[in-house]
Amino acid sequence: MPIFDQGYQHWSGELTGHGLRWLAITRHGVRIGMKNRLLRIALLIAWLPAAVLTFSLCVWGLLEQKSDLVQPLVPFLTGMLGPDVVNNPKAYRVEVWTLCYDYFLLTELRFSMIVVLLVGPGLISRDLRFNALPLYFSRPLRRIDYFVGKLGVVVVFLGSVLVVPSVIAYVLGLLFSLDWTIIRDTFPLLLACVGYGAVMSVSAGLLILALSSLSRNSRYVGLFWLAVWFVSSIVGTVLTGVNEEHRMRQTYRRAVEAERAAQAERPPKSPEDRQRQAASRQEAQRRMWADLQREQREAARSDWRPLFSYTANLSRVGRHWLGADASWEKLAETVPADERDRYLLENMGAQYPWYWSAAVLAVLFGLSICILNFRVRSLDRLK
Amino acid sequence: MLFHLEDVTKTYGPVTALDNLSVSVPTGAVGLLGPNGSGKTTLIRTLLGLIPVDKGSGAVLGLDIHTRQLDIRRLVGFAPEDECLFPGVAGVEFAAYAGELVGMRTKDAMQRAHEVLDYVGLGEARYRRVETYSTGMKQRLKLASAVVHDPKLLILDEPTNGMDPAGREEVLELARDLAHNKGMSLIFSSHLLPDVEAVCDHVVVLGAGRLLAEGMIRDLKQLHDGCFEVRLKANPAAFARRLASLGCTADVRDDLLLVRVPVGQSQQMLWQAAAAQREQIRFLRPQRSTLEEIFLKAVERP
Repeated sequence: MPIFDQGYQHWSGELTGHGLRWLAITRHGVRIGMKNRLLRIALLIAWLPAAVLTFSLCVWGLLEQKSDLVQPLVPFLTGMLGPDVVNNPKAYRVEVWTLCYDYFLLTELRFSMIVVLLVGPGLISRDLRFNALPLYFSRPLRRIDYFVGKLGVVVVFLGSVLVVPSVIAYVLGLLFSLDWTIIRDTFPLLLACVGYGAVMSVSAGLLILALSSLSRNSRYVGLFWLAVWFVSSIVGTVLTGVNEEHRMRQTYRRAVEAERAAQAERPPKSPEDRQRQAASRQEAQRRMWADLQREQREAARSDWRPLFSYTANLSRVGRHWLGADASWEKLAETVPADERDRYLLENMGAQYPWYWSAAVLAVLFGLSICILNFRVRSLDRLK
Repeated sequence: MLFHLEDVTKTYGPVTALDNLSVSVPTGAVGLLGPNGSGKTTLIRTLLGLIPVDKGSGAVLGLDIHTRQLDIRRLVGFAPEDECLFPGVAGVEFAAYAGELVGMRTKDAMQRAHEVLDYVGLGEARYRRVETYSTGMKQRLKLASAVVHDPKLLILDEPTNGMDPAGREEVLELARDLAHNKGMSLIFSSHLLPDVEAVCDHVVVLGAGRLLAEGMIRDLKQLHDGCFEVRLKANPAAFARRLASLGCTADVRDDLLLVRVPVGQSQQMLWQAAAAQREQIRFLRPQRSTLEEIFLKAVERP
């Protein structure tokens, strides 16, 4: 029994407007999320690529200044990028920055999937399980506020591993270059990073919310998410691999048939003939590989199979916005002409039109909204 | 006026939950009575603007139910009937979050959450996760969350469901205190008549989505002319026989005698009969309808 029971007291504070009501849900979700130790660890690890990105940009800034601090790294950079690029760092500034961001975002894409896996599954499924929707919707809250608030939780966490490190790395890169023209050169890159982070956050956020609304058990939702991530990637990779192998076999078969036909026409009569034919066979093989690589590059421009992979679609849009392909093409000019196709084939990813991936993401976006609309109703139903 | 509805109809497919309901209720503590499926919860949802009605109009605290739903919900605190929780939080975070959702600033909401948890008697359990709360504690937590922003109107939907007698009494006491001492209007929906009678002054009886009865409880419990409730020191059966011989109708209900005196007679007749039989009358009052009778009468009315 309390010594002094003051009982119920009236409250005379002011309530805020409806506009930012979703923020309370986001704030609450972030607080709950940060209680998850695994998520905290994942966030810390996800910041390691950001440290590498920052280091890379700073090194390039120092290289532009011909700083002694980075001289021990020059042989390593020369081996990796070639002497032309390292000896003229300002000329390749945009390309190097672009590719640094490209690698960073590609790595963070995987971490983002993990972060979403740790944050997202319970966002709606736990509300359904604990019947929290009447508590939300009996307050001055619309369904859109609820969705935006929940989406905000995913956006905050993904933003913290995608956008915030990108911006910090950009600022530090500027400071280490001590050349303000770099802003003019690379500012679109920063915008692309932020835009890509926003697209990834909204797309993955809505998708996990839709999945989360499908079950009251967040473990099943986690499994759904892993399926979306892994199964779609595996399907995309397998289809692409099968297609490439088929093309290689066809090319190889053509080459073998051509050689047999040549041998049948002119059977070797002397050792010199045999030597000559061996040399021409080698030349034909070299041509065959060159043709194959060129064909693969051509075919990659219209190969739709990677569209099955959710992460590949995100990656394709991001790489297009960053301008990664153009950067690789510029860097390819520094390698010998006969190795260029192989170089580009090894480094450039999928080449199909980026808007195909954008369309797939848009379809998923619409589908997610439909699922949410169907699954998270207001209270307009009988019990 | 607490709320008024005019010809409100709400259907869920073939089910008519509210059927041309027209009612006006003054401020105060209002009991919402009705058998299961009578439309109580639909009425509450209509008042909160949670569901669109098929036709009709209305207002809650002067705000139109069609256009000012969010404003209504700012002024109203609602504790739903079902077991519902914001998962993964302690009690104080639960109440604070409820406040933030209404629009309270984080700091204010947390401070206020501590106050209301103390008020509902959950002060000691405020840092426990809500999933570990008992049914009674969850009901009190819902009540705390409903009043965290100090609403003008508190709506409690079956607040004593699944509670033990002690917990039930505590919740009723809190509801009574808020409605009668703190100036908060109350809509108390229940099918437990004693609960409504213990808390409310006004009652609305619904059946099949229609208004069956409505008014102040004291007015509805009308006097029965020539009827009295009598309690005696001794066995009432003998006295009942004596009264019957004098032309009265006397029914024994437990230790109480319900007596109807002949037309033209008064309670004086009872005193005289007791004196003649050397009986001691310990209690005598004019008979009034009970809330149960009012309810049954309203529900049975075609």
